[in-house]
Amino acid sequence: MTETQKLFKNGQIASEKSPTLRQADVLVNEKGSISAVESYIETKPEMDVIDCSRKILVPGLFDMHVHLREPGREDKETIETGTEAAINGGVTGLLAMPNTTPPIDSGGMVRFVLTLAKERARIPVMTSGCITHNRQGKELAEIADMKEKGVVMITDDGSPVANSYLFRRALEYARNFDLIVASHCETMELSADGAMHEGKVSYQLGIPGIPACSEEISIERDLSLAHYTKARIHIQHVSTARGMEIIRRFKEEGVHVTAEVTPHHLLFSEEDIGDYNTAFKMNPPLRTKVDNQQLLEGLKEGIFDIIATDHAPHTTFEKNLDFSSAPFGITGLETALLSLYTYLVKPGKTNWNLFVKTYSAEPRRILGLPSVEIKPTHPAEFIVFDPDVTTIINKAFMRSKSVNTPFLGKELMGRVEKVIYKNEILLDRLQK
Amino acid sequence: MTKQDPEKKKRRKDLLDIDSISVEEIDFLVKTAQPFKELFTRSVKKVPTLRGKSVLNLFYEPSTRTRTSFEIAAKRLSADVTNFSVSQSSVVKGESILDTIDTLQSMKVDYMIVRHSESGVPNFIAQNTHASVINAGDGYHAHPTQAILDTYTLKEVFPDLTRKKILIVGDILHSRVARSVSTCCRKLGIEIGVLGPGTLIPDSRPDYMECFKDYATAFAWNPDVIYLLRLQRERQQAYFFPSMREYHNLFGITSNRFETVKSEGIYIMHPGPVNRGVELIDEVMTYERCLINQQVENGIATRMAILYWLQPGENKIRKPNTEIRGKS
Amino acid sequence: MSEPSLSKTHILDEKDINHKLRRIASEILEQHPKTPLAFVGIHTRGVIVADRIYNVLIEDRKEMVKGSLDISLYRDDLDNLGSIPSIKNSDLPFEIEGATVILFDDVLFTGRTIRAAINVLTDYGRPAKIELAVLIDRGNRELPIAPNYTGHTIQTSKKEHICSHFHEIDDEEGVYKLINSERAS
Repeated sequence: MTETQKLFKNGQIASEKSPTLRQADVLVNEKGSISAVESYIETKPEMDVIDCSRKILVPGLFDMHVHLREPGREDKETIETGTEAAINGGVTGLLAMPNTTPPIDSGGMVRFVLTLAKERARIPVMTSGCITHNRQGKELAEIADMKEKGVVMITDDGSPVANSYLFRRALEYARNFDLIVASHCETMELSADGAMHEGKVSYQLGIPGIPACSEEISIERDLSLAHYTKARIHIQHVSTARGMEIIRRFKEEGVHVTAEVTPHHLLFSEEDIGDYNTAFKMNPPLRTKVDNQQLLEGLKEGIFDIIATDHAPHTTFEKNLDFSSAPFGITGLETALLSLYTYLVKPGKTNWNLFVKTYSAEPRRILGLPSVEIKPTHPAEFIVFDPDVTTIINKAFMRSKSVNTPFLGKELMGRVEKVIYKNEILLDRLQK
Repeated sequence: MTKQDPEKKKRRKDLLDIDSISVEEIDFLVKTAQPFKELFTRSVKKVPTLRGKSVLNLFYEPSTRTRTSFEIAAKRLSADVTNFSVSQSSVVKGESILDTIDTLQSMKVDYMIVRHSESGVPNFIAQNTHASVINAGDGYHAHPTQAILDTYTLKEVFPDLTRKKILIVGDILHSRVARSVSTCCRKLGIEIGVLGPGTLIPDSRPDYMECFKDYATAFAWNPDVIYLLRLQRERQQAYFFPSMREYHNLFGITSNRFETVKSEGIYIMHPGPVNRGVELIDEVMTYERCLINQQVENGIATRMAILYWLQPGENKIRKPNTEIRGKS
Repeated sequence: MSEPSLSKTHILDEKDINHKLRRIASEILEQHPKTPLAFVGIHTRGVIVADRIYNVLIEDRKEMVKGSLDISLYRDDLDNLGSIPSIKNSDLPFEIEGATVILFDDVLFTGRTIRAAINVLTDYGRPAKIELAVLIDRGNRELPIAPNYTGHTIQTSKKEHICSHFHEIDDEEGVYKLINSERAS
């Protein structure tokens, strides 16, 4: 099946360059490259024709914030299940976070993880490494060695680098290696034992709060240091509108900063926690409805460069603990496209081009990867998306080992029907 | 006969917080508590209402007073009471609450009285058991039985509670009692003022709470009741206030303030146990309008009324008026 | 909430009720010409029956006291009740120990209420004797209980509902048989 040309007939092509979809036929050659994108391509006998009428062809998604949990917590996720979950959600490339057990803080660990990924994953896996040794925030990790073994970003994600002096040195040191330093922004003394956004809802539920300023102070500090050291910095999972405004200010000043926002911070607020639902417990916490709206505006205005899910699998057992004891985080790879389509694209709050730009094109540009825009000579790396049917998010649907998503049991619009990766079809829901 | 008896109340499975119950239900419980208190004057203080039922005191946080109050209430209703005290330190993170609940579920418990240091645990347990769950205090969240017994106590002094004024003093931030009492008072039309250190009066408090900076302004507001919250000594370590001495000087009932309290005829309440010399001076305890002992006594009757009202097991709550019931 | 469709048959009117109660009063007087008596009505309408008979007798004999009982806490069917009544105070302002008690109720049916009432009484003390007076005995007993004084006896089936109304608390007065011919949907 791999040695034939494939003709994707009558699909609607989504692109970061146009707010509207373009009807076209797409021809993929035997080697898995796109050979033609035309409004009409004549069918020839040697072609496998795939009818894509009323379907949307979306460039393969890229998630820059994924916790694969291997090594250490293979009960939550493995490189294999995590990448299969990605494929299930239309994600064809990802960047793994280094807070595994042990953490990815050395060249050896990087090599181990990347080797494992080559064996077990059907899509490319990139990894980040730790900023500090053992993520303890006490001394720098061997950044150059990790870079040599393939790391593209360093971060202590899950925790901030609390020591400002050390973080300054990390920014300065990383400059020489063309590495992105990414920051989980949080002031631990202010977050203390908080488990959700501090506000009226946390007061009512009696749950210790994490104030918005815990994150904002840290964003301000990190960007001031990046400004001072002229370093390249990436701000992870921004949750507050004020935090976003700080990023805007530094961007306008010319600091080389990129920033990400997660689907859950766009779609949910503190009010969704309801009756202590731990499927809405994550860090940074869900903020207010006003934040939701403003973050979406920020995404449209380009303050946020990318969408990333912060896919954080946890066992049902752990998520069934009481709200304060349950771990932070939800899964996202399998629901990002569907949920953003359901709540933003379909109702017309955003267009496909913004989605493609921030969740496919821009992450690849940031990491220096080749474009997967659907056009001739590019590798075939796209999704066939059916907007007319729905997907029920349940255990049977999910490929992740964990089911800690607020969408569990819910029905979302659209369906990832096929995932094309070069000359392979990684997923075809019509074939079952 | 065809009309619904207004005195009847639909039953619930659980009592988890004050937010979820109605004014009518609060009234019903307060009204029902009164005849239970009457029972205490009989030679036989026990009634057979819950004979054969089992009540489990599931306390993840030690509290002899509340546990004993529930235990007496359940025993006077003839229920079998088991105390299951889980010291928090011995709970290995590996055993979840759900595991415990599954174990208890198979023991066929009818009522679970739950206290836990984390907010929301009783809600979680209630979703996972057929037993009726009564929240006996969870984290900073709620202490509904305290609020209802306090309402009962207030009703004994003020038959009409509308527009009465209650001043809650102390650690509003960390107090489940403050949350439940203020929510309950709010529902009953009582005005609520709060007084305490700036660190312990959260900005995220509900808008209906009037906030005072000191006793002078608070007294000028003419409160009918001062409700003192227990101060946890460990808050001092977390920078909430500099010392117990300064707290007492600013927010305790000192002898000077006690003079005002007496001359204005203000009632004093406290959920116990009292830190003498911190929230109040000793003399307050023997003041005729100090309701603290009355609160304890009313606690048992109120908890009996709550146990009588709740109905274990789901799908048992009938729709009103779907059947007529003959008198037996 | 739709009302169940009921067919209502008249059993006793106001005049009948007064007649029956007077007869019970004279029977009590006959049985206990001298003994001090404690009249105890069962909430809600048993209290009215007790009051009325008490008022008839008070002209002829003085040695009587009266009280009331709420048996809610002694019911054995609490599990099945979706709604529960608020409890009234049991008011027994006299010594139960050694007393001759007459219990009053409006309708005697399964006997479970009376069983509960006897239990309440004995929790207050040990009476010398307990008797029972009812306005209506509708049969269908589930316990070995028989009234000492009966106003009116009728045959009923378990599905039927007998209800009494008194001026003191209701809009009308009379005893009716209700048949639930069609369940509310």
